[in-house]
Order: sequence, then structure tokens, then C-alpha cells
Amino acid sequence: MADTPQMQQQQVQPPEEPRADGQPGDRELVERAQRGDGAAFAQLVERHQRQLYRLALRMTGSEADAQEVLQEAFLNAYQKLPLFRGEAQFSSWLYRIAANSALMRLRRKRRAPDTLSDQPLELSGPRFSAEGYLEPTSSSDWSQRADDRMMSGELGEAINKAVAELPDDYRTVFLLKDVDGLSNEDIADALNLTVPAVKSRLHRARLALREKLGEFFDAPAK
Amino acid sequence: MTSPIQHCKDCVDLLGEYIEGTLAPERSKELEDHLSTCPPCITFLRTYRATRRLCRSALATEMPTELMSSLTSFLGKHVPGFPCSKSDTTTVVIETAADIGPKKA
Repeated sequence: MADTPQMQQQQVQPPEEPRADGQPGDRELVERAQRGDGAAFAQLVERHQRQLYRLALRMTGSEADAQEVLQEAFLNAYQKLPLFRGEAQFSSWLYRIAANSALMRLRRKRRAPDTLSDQPLELSGPRFSAEGYLEPTSSSDWSQRADDRMMSGELGEAINKAVAELPDDYRTVFLLKDVDGLSNEDIADALNLTVPAVKSRLHRARLALREKLGEFFDAPAK
Repeated sequence: MTSPIQHCKDCVDLLGEYIEGTLAPERSKELEDHLSTCPPCITFLRTYRATRRLCRSALATEMPTELMSSLTSFLGKHVPGFPCSKSDTTTVVIETAADIGPKKA
């Protein structure tokens, strides 16, 4: 039977982009690990463990849980490696495995809903007039004062509190994107969301945090 | 077709994509036209950007080295051929560099 165009697309992949550090790309390492090269798998672990740790930490909120998620995820990835066909990026595939592991752990602790996308949301945001113009209370400029108070413990506490008050899925998306620097696509893959849903959560989380920081800067200093 | 930017609300809705540089060029131009005539939105943009910067500074985290060691040790017990120490890993990198050179006959 002749291959369909879709099958041909899966079989013929474009050459892997060379890495700036001269090291082999993920695809080459995956192929070697699939042939039983444990050292190649170790390089993949070394390359991705930091981002995976941040994902696990952001999802579970606990360093101890993050450690176990990481162990489970990498072991799971190694065992499933023969099934990895390269349709997705290895990093996205790995994030998905780690995210599933984190969700399972949260569920066992009865701390999580079935997915990260079914939580009700009441977030604060800017206030607009009936005509759609910003209310003066939403347009105070504290950005110039921010760096002066950055070193203060008060600001750090205010940020931690504001982030902790976000709903879980909004907080996770915000931390992964704006603090840890993952791409929208990787976050969407890991959390089983669409890219537009990631963008929407991210924007609303930023708006809510901006409001909280505005309240902090507008309050008299202690 | 997208609706024109008429008010601050339309502008605020687009700021996320604007600061990431993923907004379509013609939409960015419309947004900048609005910003050029709307000081409250300029202030809003500054504080929106500052929110991201401050949160990143306050919340950035690194993977602890002890955790890296324990992960290596764990995988060394479960993955055949997985190097268990830092020196093993160094050897692996050198061997890998050699692997991508010309093959010996």
C-alpha cells in the first residue's frame, strides 16, 4: 500500500538545527538513547532537568514533590522512549510526561481538580468607564518607584502573596511563562491547554498581579 | 476581521501579545497610534511591563545541586549505562564530541 502524504510527512523529517554549543541535538540523543545508549539519555536529562524542575515545582508547590515528580518523569520517559516517534519536540513530550506525573501526585493528595482548566475565576483587573476609558485609579504610574523598593522585603512578600492568591491554573501559566521563560506552545502541551487559552490566562494573571502591585505601591510605606 | 482600537479597553486587551512581539504589525501600529494619544494607557503599559519584571526578580528559582545529584543517583540505579557521577558525565561529553567526528575504519 502506498504511503499517504501524512505518513510520508511523519517519516521524512527536516534536518535538525545545529546547537550553538556544538553538542548533539535532542533528536540525535534520543535516537542514540533509543538504541540503549544510557550516556545519551544522561545528556538529555542534564539538558532538560532545570526546566522540568521548575515545571514540577510550579505545579506541586513543594520541593519534595518536585523531586519525586522529576524522578518519576525521567524514568517514565526512559521506559516510553521506544514509543517516541519524533512527531513532537522531545522537550514538549517530556513536559507532558512531567505534568501528568505532577497532576497524578496532586490528585492523590486530593489537592487538584481533574484538569488545570476547570476552575472558576474571579480575578481583579483594571477598571474602565462605561465608554471603555481607563479609570484614574487604574492608571497610577508606580513603575518608576518599583526599582527603589525592589530590594525591600515588603515588596517580595507582596509579590508572593499576590501570586499565591491566583487560581492554580493561572498561577502555573504565569510562573512558567513570565518567571521560568517556557514558550506558550510548551506550556500548552504540558498543561493540556490550547495556546489561546495559555495567552488568555497569562494576560489575566498579569492584569490581576498588576492591580495588586498597584495597591501595594499606592499604600503608604510602612 | 478585527475591530478597530477605539478605547483603552481595546488597547489593554492587546498588551500581552504586544509586549511579547507576537501582535500583527498592522495591529501593533494601531495600538501605538492609540498609545501616542493616551497617557493613561502609556502608564498602564509601563506598569504591566514592570509587573512581569518584578515578579521574575522576586520569584526566579534554580534547581538545587543536591537535587541534581540525587536525580543522577536515582537514574543511575534504574537506567542501564547511565553515568552516576559528575566525572562520568564529563567523560560522556568528551566521548560524544568524538562520536560526531570522522568514524574510524
